[in-house]
Amino acid sequence: MRSCERGPSGRAARRAVRALLAGAIAVLAGANIAGGPGVGVARADDSLAAVPARPFVPGGFDDKPHLAGLFGRIAVGGYLEARAGWERQDGVTDELGIEVTRWNLLVSTRVRDRVEIFSEIEFEDGGEEATVELAQVDVRFAPAFSSRAGILLLPLGRFNLAHDAPRNEMVTRPAEAEALLGVALAQPGLGALGRIDRPAGARFTYEAYVVTGYHHGIITDSPEGTRLPAGRRNFEDANASPALVGRIEWSPRHDAVLGLSGYHGAYNVYRADGLPVDERRNVAVGVVDAEAPFGPIRWSGEAAIVEVEAPPALVGLFAERQAGAYLMASWRFGDHWVRSMPGSAFTLAARVEFVDFDRDLSGDSMRALALGLNFRPVPETVLKLGFERGETRDRFNNLSAFARLRLGVASYF
Amino acid sequence: MACSALLASSAGCGRLLTTAPDAADLFDAPLPGLSPAEHAAFVAGDEQFGKAFAISEGLGPIFNNVSCASCHSGDGRGRPENALMRFSVLGDPAPHLGGPQLQDRAVPGAEPERLPAGVESSLRLPPPVFGMGLIEAVPVDSILVRADPGDLDGDGISGRPNLVSVPAFVPAHEPGGIGPALGRFGRKAQVSSLVQQTVDAYHQDIGLTTDFRPVENVNPLASRPTEGSDRVADPEVPARVVHSVVAYLRLLAAPAPGASTPRREQGQAAFARVGCASCHVPVLRTGPSATPALANREVRLYADLLLHDMGDGLADDRRDGDASGREWRTTPLWGLRVMRGFLNGDAFLLHDGRASTVEEAIRLHGGEAQAARDAFVALPADERAALLDFVESR
Repeated sequence: MRSCERGPSGRAARRAVRALLAGAIAVLAGANIAGGPGVGVARADDSLAAVPARPFVPGGFDDKPHLAGLFGRIAVGGYLEARAGWERQDGVTDELGIEVTRWNLLVSTRVRDRVEIFSEIEFEDGGEEATVELAQVDVRFAPAFSSRAGILLLPLGRFNLAHDAPRNEMVTRPAEAEALLGVALAQPGLGALGRIDRPAGARFTYEAYVVTGYHHGIITDSPEGTRLPAGRRNFEDANASPALVGRIEWSPRHDAVLGLSGYHGAYNVYRADGLPVDERRNVAVGVVDAEAPFGPIRWSGEAAIVEVEAPPALVGLFAERQAGAYLMASWRFGDHWVRSMPGSAFTLAARVEFVDFDRDLSGDSMRALALGLNFRPVPETVLKLGFERGETRDRFNNLSAFARLRLGVASYF
Repeated sequence: MACSALLASSAGCGRLLTTAPDAADLFDAPLPGLSPAEHAAFVAGDEQFGKAFAISEGLGPIFNNVSCASCHSGDGRGRPENALMRFSVLGDPAPHLGGPQLQDRAVPGAEPERLPAGVESSLRLPPPVFGMGLIEAVPVDSILVRADPGDLDGDGISGRPNLVSVPAFVPAHEPGGIGPALGRFGRKAQVSSLVQQTVDAYHQDIGLTTDFRPVENVNPLASRPTEGSDRVADPEVPARVVHSVVAYLRLLAAPAPGASTPRREQGQAAFARVGCASCHVPVLRTGPSATPALANREVRLYADLLLHDMGDGLADDRRDGDASGREWRTTPLWGLRVMRGFLNGDAFLLHDGRASTVEEAIRLHGGEAQAARDAFVALPADERAALLDFVESR
């Protein structure tokens, strides 16, 4: 073995592997460079030394208004979200409270030109819950190919990749993203991402990772039936069986995108000590998302379908098919109306949404209409007033109506 | 004009901010006249009644559903999907076979039960749980006075109490806590105590051990050891939670009957004339109670709480305590008015939900109820419709 590693044939093998890797990288890089006029950006953009004018995902990992300047390479920032809520359910005031929803600390570090580390620590419930929501190291070989490893946000719908409260026009997150998929959805994983630029601002991007995946909690930790959020925190890969997740995005111009995401993986422990201990049961998720302006209105939305293989003895109680979607329209107006705040603006927003937690059942669902009026004194800060009116249905299809009035504030720092 | 606009806007605002349904139309409203302390107990028990249990919280290893509320829709009756299968062998609950109830769900690692061959089985729809405190508060004598096991009055209606033994875990001070006691609850009046009803529901339906029944219910016919599949140390539910749920059940009101109309009055007269009221006794009365809201009240449940032979058609041929395979406790008719609102527009009547209309249920009556059933069928159509309108307005 030692001779194999250190002898002439070992060296030859290593040279061959290096050559293959170099070739692959050259092909990927060349695909970008040789794509014709306007394809890709200048070589300077090939380096992280130059911050791309257009982030990979607006509001995503490389689009945070950090406070930069610590020790030259480190950027520090974060965001804070607080809100007050009044909720009424079936004519009874159910909740009246004030909460600091989350305080997130963002740190990124550039290690030389082609390596960057992004991290985000989230504190919720007054600090009772602290979560590493993001801790990824990116190695950029070329615009079309970067490797990524660490705790990363799963590219499962665009909202998960850009869910910061200061970005969201509503006080609450869409139920499709939060209650169905489990946003914020971050898990250990590794894989690749890249972009291929096309003329006139068009762009294709991709992300593909192996991740720890949802765990058995989607069944065992969920009292209300199948719920993916109950199995989202899987930092040690409970079943030692990674899942695959990926997203492709086509952007015909800088302000319009269409994305497709997919996820597939086993959630239960089906093998232990090399022995089969259960049937393998999978979760499969498909998400389509889009965002584009039409006149002064900006439209965005996401739709997801979920399939879960439930244990045979639980079929009927635990859903095997779920779905959800939201569509949001927002209109920015009143730029500079507040003269003392030259960068200020207002936004009116409306969101319709539904989640069907069990498509094989009448009931176990929700739908809602949310309206929001926001004021941004500066682009990084938003004061939100939101009203939601909706209904939930239990597994008997009994209806329960709710109305929520919320005041929120969120700001990057 | 201004007043109209104000009223219209307030009505619109009410709809916008959601409105409370009329308590008279609900199965889960508290009794009127409760004290703040009783309201607090009601709210706490309501929360426990609605609590769904995850597998990681002790659900299983074998079970039927995840919470009390997941079987009793809005605290009313259940649907066929929630029906339970009871089984026994010659009246013995057959624990060695997994009796007296089939648990057809199991957590991962456990094995659900399958109905053993050669047993007597009976499908039971979850009954409503409202008004149980009122039923409990009816004095024993008020019920026994209507019993006529030998049909000495010759009216064809016998009526028999189900005197049941009481498990040792039921505190003696609890109503129905000293056996033999009068069974009041369950399709065959096989349970005398709300504590027993609650403890057994946790144990048999949800697979949860309590301080009262601390040993897990397992599938004795499982093909492999499954004891390790339950993840929570026993007992999983403390006694205080059981008592909280019992208090909630005690304090649940019954929905109010619909308004009286000439047609319903005609139906009510026919209801009495054809003999329905012989068993579906319109009013019982509670006795003294430590809870003022339960004391000395009229209880319009339309039942005598006694066992009656219902004939071959409805027989399940399974003995349950003193109740034979042909006997059933008279089912209270209260709540029929709003039943469909909690069953997605459907109605599942009789012990197994086989009847989808009141008329169908009446036509399936036999045994002691045969004469009343025949008299109903013989009524002129308009009078029959009036009787059905009356019953469906209860």
